[in-house]
Amino acid sequence: MTTDIKHIRNFSIIAHIDHGKSTLADRLLQATQAVTAREARNQLLDSMDLERERGITIKASAVTVHHTHNGQEYMLNFIDTPGHVDFTYEVSRALKACEGAILVVDAAQGVQAQTVVNAYLAIEQDLDIISVLNKIDLPGARPDDIAMEIEQALGMAAEDCILVSAKTGQGIDELLETIIEKLPQPPAPTTNKTRALIFDAIYDDYRGVIVYFRMFDGTLKTGDKIRMMGLGRNFSITELGKYTPKPEKVKSVGPGETGYLVAAIKTLGDVRVGDTITLENSPADQPLSGYEPPQQMVFCDFYPSTNSEKKNNDFEELRDAINRLSLNDSSFTFQPVHSEALGFGFRCGFLGLLHMDIIQERLEREGDVEIVQTAPTVSYKVQVRSKKGLIKELEIHNPADLPDAGTIVSIAEPMCRVNIISPSEFVGEVMKLCLERRGIYKHQTLVSATRQMMTFEIPLAEIIYDFYDKLKGLTSGYGTMDYEITQYHNDNLVKVQVLINAEPVEALSLICHKDRAEFRGRQLLTKLKKQIPRHQFEIPLQAAIGGKIIGRETIKGFRKNVTAKCYGGDVSRKRKLLEAQKKGKKRMKSVGSVQIPQEAFMAVLDQSE
Amino acid sequence: MAPQYNHIVLPTLGQCPSASARQVFLALKPQTSPARALYIHIPFCSHKCDYCDFYSLVDTRDRQNVFTDRLIRELRALGSFAPEPLNSIFIGGGTPSLLDASLWERLLGELNDSFDLSRIQTGQGEFTVECNPESTTPEFLGILKAGSVDRVSFGAQSFEPEHLKTLQRLHDPDRVELVIIMAQDAGIVRQSLDLIYAIPGQTLRQWQRDLQRAVAIGVEHISCYNLTYEPATAMTARLNQGEFTPADEDLEIQSFELAGKVLGEAGLMRYEISNFAQKGCESLHNLAYWRSESWLAAGPAAAAHVGGHRYRNTPHLGQYLDFDDQGFAPIMDHEQPDTRRALAERLMMGLRLVEGVDSDPIYRAGEQINEHLCDQLRECVLKQIEAGLMAMQDGRWQLTDAGLLLTDGIVAELMDVVYQA
Ligand SMILES: Nc1nc2c(ncn2[C@@H]2O[C@H](COP(=O)(O)OP(=O)(O)O)[C@@H](O)[C@H]2O)c(=O)[nH]1
Ligand code: SF4
Repeated sequence: MTTDIKHIRNFSIIAHIDHGKSTLADRLLQATQAVTAREARNQLLDSMDLERERGITIKASAVTVHHTHNGQEYMLNFIDTPGHVDFTYEVSRALKACEGAILVVDAAQGVQAQTVVNAYLAIEQDLDIISVLNKIDLPGARPDDIAMEIEQALGMAAEDCILVSAKTGQGIDELLETIIEKLPQPPAPTTNKTRALIFDAIYDDYRGVIVYFRMFDGTLKTGDKIRMMGLGRNFSITELGKYTPKPEKVKSVGPGETGYLVAAIKTLGDVRVGDTITLENSPADQPLSGYEPPQQMVFCDFYPSTNSEKKNNDFEELRDAINRLSLNDSSFTFQPVHSEALGFGFRCGFLGLLHMDIIQERLEREGDVEIVQTAPTVSYKVQVRSKKGLIKELEIHNPADLPDAGTIVSIAEPMCRVNIISPSEFVGEVMKLCLERRGIYKHQTLVSATRQMMTFEIPLAEIIYDFYDKLKGLTSGYGTMDYEITQYHNDNLVKVQVLINAEPVEALSLICHKDRAEFRGRQLLTKLKKQIPRHQFEIPLQAAIGGKIIGRETIKGFRKNVTAKCYGGDVSRKRKLLEAQKKGKKRMKSVGSVQIPQEAFMAVLDQSE
Repeated sequence: MAPQYNHIVLPTLGQCPSASARQVFLALKPQTSPARALYIHIPFCSHKCDYCDFYSLVDTRDRQNVFTDRLIRELRALGSFAPEPLNSIFIGGGTPSLLDASLWERLLGELNDSFDLSRIQTGQGEFTVECNPESTTPEFLGILKAGSVDRVSFGAQSFEPEHLKTLQRLHDPDRVELVIIMAQDAGIVRQSLDLIYAIPGQTLRQWQRDLQRAVAIGVEHISCYNLTYEPATAMTARLNQGEFTPADEDLEIQSFELAGKVLGEAGLMRYEISNFAQKGCESLHNLAYWRSESWLAAGPAAAAHVGGHRYRNTPHLGQYLDFDDQGFAPIMDHEQPDTRRALAERLMMGLRLVEGVDSDPIYRAGEQINEHLCDQLRECVLKQIEAGLMAMQDGRWQLTDAGLLLTDGIVAELMDVVYQA
C-alpha cells in the first residue's frame, strides 16, 4: 500500500556540529514512537563506531516514521546529512531528496559558520526551511537574541523560530505539527514513467550495495528490473525496504516516498549517487537532475609503516585494506605510487582534511595496517610548454612531480570561499590571519550585535594545515568556519627544493607562493634539523628555488658517542643495543651518507611553528 | 620482613630460568681451555643509589646466611671446572663489604679450597674486592688480607658532598682517604678509586679538584665514569621529571679530556675508555672482559663467558636460593657459541682498550665466516683511519683519542659489517 503524497513529508535536519542534530533526530523518532527511549540514546542514525566517537555523521541515511496529526496519519521521511565542511556535497545530495529542511541552531551558541553554509545549501535547493532554536533548557540560552541572529544572517523571520529542547522534549510536538503543516507535500509526478533519485549508497558485506532512493515518479516493486540511467546498467530488485529505523521489508515504494533497495550490486563502483533509477522495460526519457560528483581536493600518500615487525607483505595488506574500504566509501581515490624514501604506497585523494583523517583511521582500525601518512597537498593545475611549443595542462598532486621550472607556463591552485563567524573583538586578528594566508577579503556582515560574519577567498593550500586550529586559538574557541571550493586561480607559485648534504631530495620539496617561499623553506629546514639525527659528520641543509639557495642550516656532527661502563655483565645487552641502533638506521632512507628518518618526510608542508 | 626490591625489574614468569649453568658446562667441548677468571656477585646494599642499575637488594641481613651457604655450594660446583690456577677474582655487587665478617671468612676459605689460588698468592694474579668507603673497617680489611685479597676498589664517586647528594651516595667524602690508609695498613697495597663526572651541576673546575684529590691519595688505579642515565633508574626518572639539567656534551668532552690530562701527568695512563693505571697496574680481571677471555660467574645476576657460551645467573635472589642443580645456579639469556657474535663482541669490547685488538685472530675468524668479510672489515677500518678515528699499529687496530669518544658508532659500523657478511 502506498501513501497518498498529500500525507508525505520529506525533510533533512541541518545544523552546525554539536548544535543537537542527532539528539533532535532521536527525539523525533521517539515522539513518533519509532524507537523506545533507550534505543534513542544509541543515536540510531549514526551507524559507524567511528562516527559515534567523533560525534559526526559521515553517511547519510533515511528513516521513515508515521505520525498522526488531526486524525490523519502522515509519513515522515527524514534524510540524515553529515555535519561537516568536508561533506558539503553529501549535504546537497541529501537535500535533493527533500522538500524541506529543519535548521537547528543552538540557542546558547547562536548562528555559526556551518549554520550559514548549510542554510544556503537548502535555500539554493529551494527547500522550505523551519528554523529551530534548540537547547532552550540551558541556563545560557538566549532564544530572542539568537532568533534575531537568524533573521540578520539568513533573512528568516525571527518570530517563525520554534523553540525546543531536544533534551527535555519541550517543543517537539509543536515541531512535528509545523513539519506537517508548513512543509510542502512532494510534487505530483510529471511523467507516467518511473523515476527515483539515488541519494546514497552503502556497502554491506552480506547483501552487497544498499541503494537509498527517493521516488519522484511512479512506483518500484520487489522483482522489478531496473536501469541506472547514467551508468546504463540493469539490475533486478531482490529486496525493497525502509528504515523505521529498523530495516523493514516492503513490497513497493510509491511516489514521494523514500526507501532502500538491494539488487545484487557487487561494488559501489556500479552505482553512482545522483543517478536516476528507471524501469528497464519502460524507461523514462529524461533522468532527474542529479548533481556533480565530488571532487578530491586534498591529496596525501599512505605507505605501510615499516616499523611493524611484519616484513614483505605490508604493501599487499595496505592494498587489501584500501580496496576493502573503497567498497564502503567511493568518495576517495587512490593509485599506487613509489617513493624513493618510503617505498611502495598509494596516493589518495580526499574531499577535505577531515575526510582524510577518517579514511586513515578506518584503514588502521578496520584493515589492521599501520600507515605512514605524508603531509597533504592540494591538486595543482600546471600549464607546461612542450618542446614543440604546445601548451598542455597537467594535474599535479605532488611537488615532486612538478616538471622542470623552464617548461612551466603557469601554476593554478584551488581557491575556497571561506565563511568565518567570530565575536567582533577578534575580527582584527582573524582578518590578519586570513590575509597572511593570501586571503582576499570579500565582505562582512553583522550576525548579531556582538558577532560578525566574514567571507574571504583563500587558497585551499593555505587552509589545509593548521588554519582551523589557528582560528580557534585566535578567537578563544569562539570562531567557526566553513569553506567551499570555488575555482582554480593562477598565482606566482614556485617549487622549493631541499638539499641535504648538497643532494636534492625530491620527497622534501614543496610548492608555495613566491613571497612565502623563503619563510617556508627556512621553517622546513628548522624542522628537518630537529628530525634528522646527528651523524659522525656535519650535515648542511639547504633550501633552494631553481638553483638559488634561500636558506641554510647545519646539523653538527656527533662529538661523543660512547658507553662509559662496559664490563663482563654488559656484553650481551650492549651488543644488542648496538645492533638495534643499526637496525633503526635500516628504517631510515639514505641520501648519500645521510640517514633520514621517515618522520622527516612528514615535516614538509607542516606549517605549524 | 621480606627484602625490599628497589628499582629492580623482577623477572616475570615468562622469563623464569629454564636452564641451569650445569647444562652449559656439560655441553663444553673437551678441548675448551678452562676459565682463568672468576666473578662473584654479592647482591646486598644498604640503600639503593639513584643512578645504579646493578642487581642488588637493600640488605635486611635475614638472608645473608642462606645466601652464603648457597654461594659456597655454587663455588664448589664451579671449582671442578677450573683445574688451572686462577689469574683473577673479582668480588663485586651490590656492596660486598656489607656481608658479615664471619660469612666473609667462610667465603674466602671456600675459594681457597675449591680453586687454585697459587698465582694470586704469589703476586702474579689479582684478587679484588669492591668496597664501600662507608662500611669498610680495619677488621674487614684484615679478613680480606688473610683470604688472599690483594686489591680493593673504592667507590669514591666525588669529593663534593653536594654532588654525592645528587647521586644519593651516603658516604662522607673525607672517609675515602681514611679507608685507603686502612687498606694500606692492612697490607692491601693495590687500590683503585671510582670517580663519576658530568654530574648535574658539576663544573669543570670541581671535576679537576676531584681528580687532583684522587691523585694526591696516591692510588695505582682510577676509573672515571661519565654519569650515565640508565633506563629504569631513579636518576633517569628524576631527569625525565625535569628535576635537573644534565651536563652538556661539551662539558662531558672536556671532562673526559681533563681526566686523561690530569691523571696522565700523574703517571696514571688511560688504558681503557674509563680506566687509568700506573704501568703494570691495569686491572687483570677487567682486561679478561675486554679481551673476550673466559670467566666463571657466581651469585645472582652474575654473567659468565665460558667456551663461547654467554649466560647470566638468575637476577632474583629467591630463585637463586631455591633452585640448586648440584650447586649450579639457574640461568637466563643463554647464548650458544657463535663465531659471528664472538667476532662482533671481540671488536666491541677490544676497541675500548687503548691497546686495541689484534687483527690476526680477527682475520682468522673472519675467513671462517665469509670470504669477503676480511676485505670488508679492512675497508671499514681504513675509512675510519682516513677520518682520523682509528689507527693501525703493529698489526693492531686501535681507536685514536677522537675515536674513543665515538666508540659506539664506530663499533656499530664494524659489527654491521660482521653481521651483513
Ligand atoms: N542541554 C541540552 N543539551 C542538548 C540538547 N540537544 C543536544 N544537546 C547536547 O548537545 C551535544 C551535541 O548534540 P548532538 O545531537 O550530538 O549534536 P550534533 O553534532 O548536531 O548531532 C550533546 O552533548 C547533547 O547531549 C538540548 O536540547 N539541551
Ligand atoms: S651503586 Fe653500588 S652501592 Fe649503590 S645501589 Fe648500586 S650496587 Fe648498591
